[in-house]
Amino acid sequence: MSDDHIVKSYDEELHIINDAIVQMGSLTESLLEDSMNAITKMDKDSVSKIVESDKKINKFRASIDEQIMTLLVKRSPVAIDLRLAISTLKISQDLERIGDLAKGNAKKILPLPEDDLPPEMLNSMRRLGEAVQKQIKLSLDSYLERSTEKAIQVVKDDEQVNDLTKISIKEVLDFLAKDKKNLEFATNLLFVSKNLERAGDHITRIAENVYYLISGDYPKKNK
Amino acid sequence: MNKELRRKKRYQAEKRFQVYGIIAISLAIFFVGILVTKIFSDGTSAFSRTMIKTEIKLDADLLGITDINNKDEVENADYYTLIYDEFTKSIPFSNDEEEKQIITLLSPDYEYEAKDFFLKNKDQLGKTVTILLTASDDFDQLHKGNFPRDIPEDRRRLSNFQLQIYDQLVKENKVTKVFNNYLFTKGDSRDPELAGFGGAIIGSFFTILICLIISFPIALMAAVYLEEFAPKNRITELIEININNLAAVPSIVYGLFALGILLNVLELPRSTALVGGIALSLMTLPRIIIPARASLKAVPPSIREGALAVGASKVQAVFHHVVPLAMPGTLSGTIIGLAQALGETAPLLLIGMVAFVVEIPGSPLDPSSSLPVQVYLWSESAERGFVEKTSATIMMLLGFLIVMNSLAVYARQKFEKKWN
Amino acid sequence: MELNMNREAKVISKNVDVFYGNKQALFDINLEIFKNEVTALIGPSGCGKSTFLRCINRMNDVIDICKISGEIEIDGFNIYKQGVDVVRLREKVGMVFQKPNPFPKSIYDNIAYGPNIHGIAQNKQELDEIVENSLKKAALWNEVKDRLNEPGTGLSGGQQQRLCIARAISINPEIILMDEPCSALDPIATAKIEELIDSLKSSYTIVIVTHSMAQAARVSQRTGFFHLGKLIEMDETDKIFKNPNNKMTQDYITGRFG
Repeated sequence: MSDDHIVKSYDEELHIINDAIVQMGSLTESLLEDSMNAITKMDKDSVSKIVESDKKINKFRASIDEQIMTLLVKRSPVAIDLRLAISTLKISQDLERIGDLAKGNAKKILPLPEDDLPPEMLNSMRRLGEAVQKQIKLSLDSYLERSTEKAIQVVKDDEQVNDLTKISIKEVLDFLAKDKKNLEFATNLLFVSKNLERAGDHITRIAENVYYLISGDYPKKNK
Repeated sequence: MNKELRRKKRYQAEKRFQVYGIIAISLAIFFVGILVTKIFSDGTSAFSRTMIKTEIKLDADLLGITDINNKDEVENADYYTLIYDEFTKSIPFSNDEEEKQIITLLSPDYEYEAKDFFLKNKDQLGKTVTILLTASDDFDQLHKGNFPRDIPEDRRRLSNFQLQIYDQLVKENKVTKVFNNYLFTKGDSRDPELAGFGGAIIGSFFTILICLIISFPIALMAAVYLEEFAPKNRITELIEININNLAAVPSIVYGLFALGILLNVLELPRSTALVGGIALSLMTLPRIIIPARASLKAVPPSIREGALAVGASKVQAVFHHVVPLAMPGTLSGTIIGLAQALGETAPLLLIGMVAFVVEIPGSPLDPSSSLPVQVYLWSESAERGFVEKTSATIMMLLGFLIVMNSLAVYARQKFEKKWN
Repeated sequence: MELNMNREAKVISKNVDVFYGNKQALFDINLEIFKNEVTALIGPSGCGKSTFLRCINRMNDVIDICKISGEIEIDGFNIYKQGVDVVRLREKVGMVFQKPNPFPKSIYDNIAYGPNIHGIAQNKQELDEIVENSLKKAALWNEVKDRLNEPGTGLSGGQQQRLCIARAISINPEIILMDEPCSALDPIATAKIEELIDSLKSSYTIVIVTHSMAQAARVSQRTGFFHLGKLIEMDETDKIFKNPNNKMTQDYITGRFG
């Protein structure tokens, strides 16, 4: 927020919304990290903690919805303020979806496999997770710093996430072909990879919305 | 506590202020009351006239009428001798001095009154009729109770003999009071009982009419031009200031101007309503221009803009919309200006409208008097009869002023309501 | 955002400067106003938007100290050329003011005044028709048809303003200038005027000065932002209110300076 509004409480309301998104973002970021850790380390105990923080994220979403609604009614925002309201609404929606996907992923490990998993497979899974985590961090940074460059970078990085997803899926399929015993668990891992890709898509949309918030336009697809 | 005290003081100050106001207004009402009471108590008696009832034989020989149908003869009949003989006959006297005292009880116009009576009652020729004749001023004042009777004879206007006659006539029920129509219909006269302000009213009317005809259009046009059209520069500013100054110029200066220019240079007839009207219109001009400009200024600019925006020219906008809207204010200003002119004396004195005018003026070009000048003239006269006439004239003048001012208020309220 | 692709410029302002005495009120205004569109002019008080509006029908001529340079072309004709008949110009460019200003006359006379002074109607019947049509176009006919002889000042504020619009269209102008036409009205009356503006758009070119940015966003296709006598930005209304190019515009419309 460059200059202050004449009405100070307007600024305060925008600040509160902004802060809420930042908090919600960092919460989602750590949720994603926790869920990746749970998967790669097969840490069953952290699942309940993850479910709890997803609930928190959902509450954030509801509260941001409410605040945006109030803002629209009270201030009839235009231009930058209008774009902030609209993109914030969308970003919070995407963050909530990312939280849901992360929570879903963590839950997937509840039926533990009997054997040890092949390390290559877990590695590719971890690499995918790290790429998505890097993406969400960059995306949140772009929001925080109002940086179009970072937002564009996020959009570009989505390619990488997609590639990593393909690799990860292939590894899982290999694992599945070798060992029919872990059919259920391996299928879950397929979903985990797919979910991570979808989380990446949401993160990309967040970046696009940040770009829109800053410039009033969406980034060109072919860049 | 301090706060409490201050609030109390504030309320007290407020109350004190109200009391001052009430005292001021009461004082004002008190003085106006005194003035009005004095004028009314002096003036009301002027509206009645004392008449003496006399029995008169319309003797054809005495009148010198041989043929009742001969207009010329009737016109020029000797009414004087008729009344003189018949009236003196009705009261016993012992010498010429007393005879003279008897006839002076009548107003000198008795022959005309008799003539008027006879012209209306020609069929009564030769018969004895009862006729009402206007009593003389002294008799009139005596009857109205304005003359004390208990002072020495040489200081009285009426002799003992005349008082006896008065008492006798009263006893015989021959003295009556009638409404004094002379007051309204007659011009000035040396005899108070015959003097009226009819001439002065007509003179005032003509003067004000001339004043209105001259000052209203000029003032209106000047106001419209200055307010709506004139460029705002040094010259118009100077004119503005001078108009305001003119309104403050003593009226006698306008009289001097009229005397110098209208009478001496242009040689217009003296003592006439025409010259008086012109002099007064000079005085009234700024007094109309100022309220006219104020009411033009009060017309919201949005009206002008509205007219201009539909393509009216400047003149159209002003005369179709602005001037009609400013009319109520202008008219009430005009009426008040004329009311001031009506009460103006000084300039009229200078142009000779102070002359003794018996004839009622028939046109603005006839010598005439005016109401305030009449007040001035009569207030200078010694006769007791003129005192009440002076007050009556003032009452008349005040009446006109009240009517005009109420008209102004009415015009303003009635029309302004309609326009808003 | 659907845009009329073959837009035709109705009014073109070229290098317009306006001075009130020594004070310059407008600086080098260059803009185009398109035919059959609503153009909104916004900006803080004293920014010159009303001054510019009043240049279009030369209403500023009334003010002695007001001097104008530059050109304003209507249909390619410079209205500030010498010898232009202002009365003819105002026949073509009507105006509606901030405060409803019906003449203190009957409703009928309010409308009939313009046609009368321009001699538009040949007879009483034609005049009646003009009055009726103008009132119908101004969406006032049904409310006043039974009381055409009552004073126009007796109507409600919103009705008075519509009467003024009817008065403006009675002389069949091509352009209607509106100087904050709703600032004295309640929201319902405002909505009626806005609806009216929408319906008039097809037959007239409308320029509206408004303090309400929401109103500008609602009624106009193009919006110009004035600040301190300069035209800061003029663009499609959508663009102005979603993503203006100029920071000053954005600061103004988002309420960051006054």
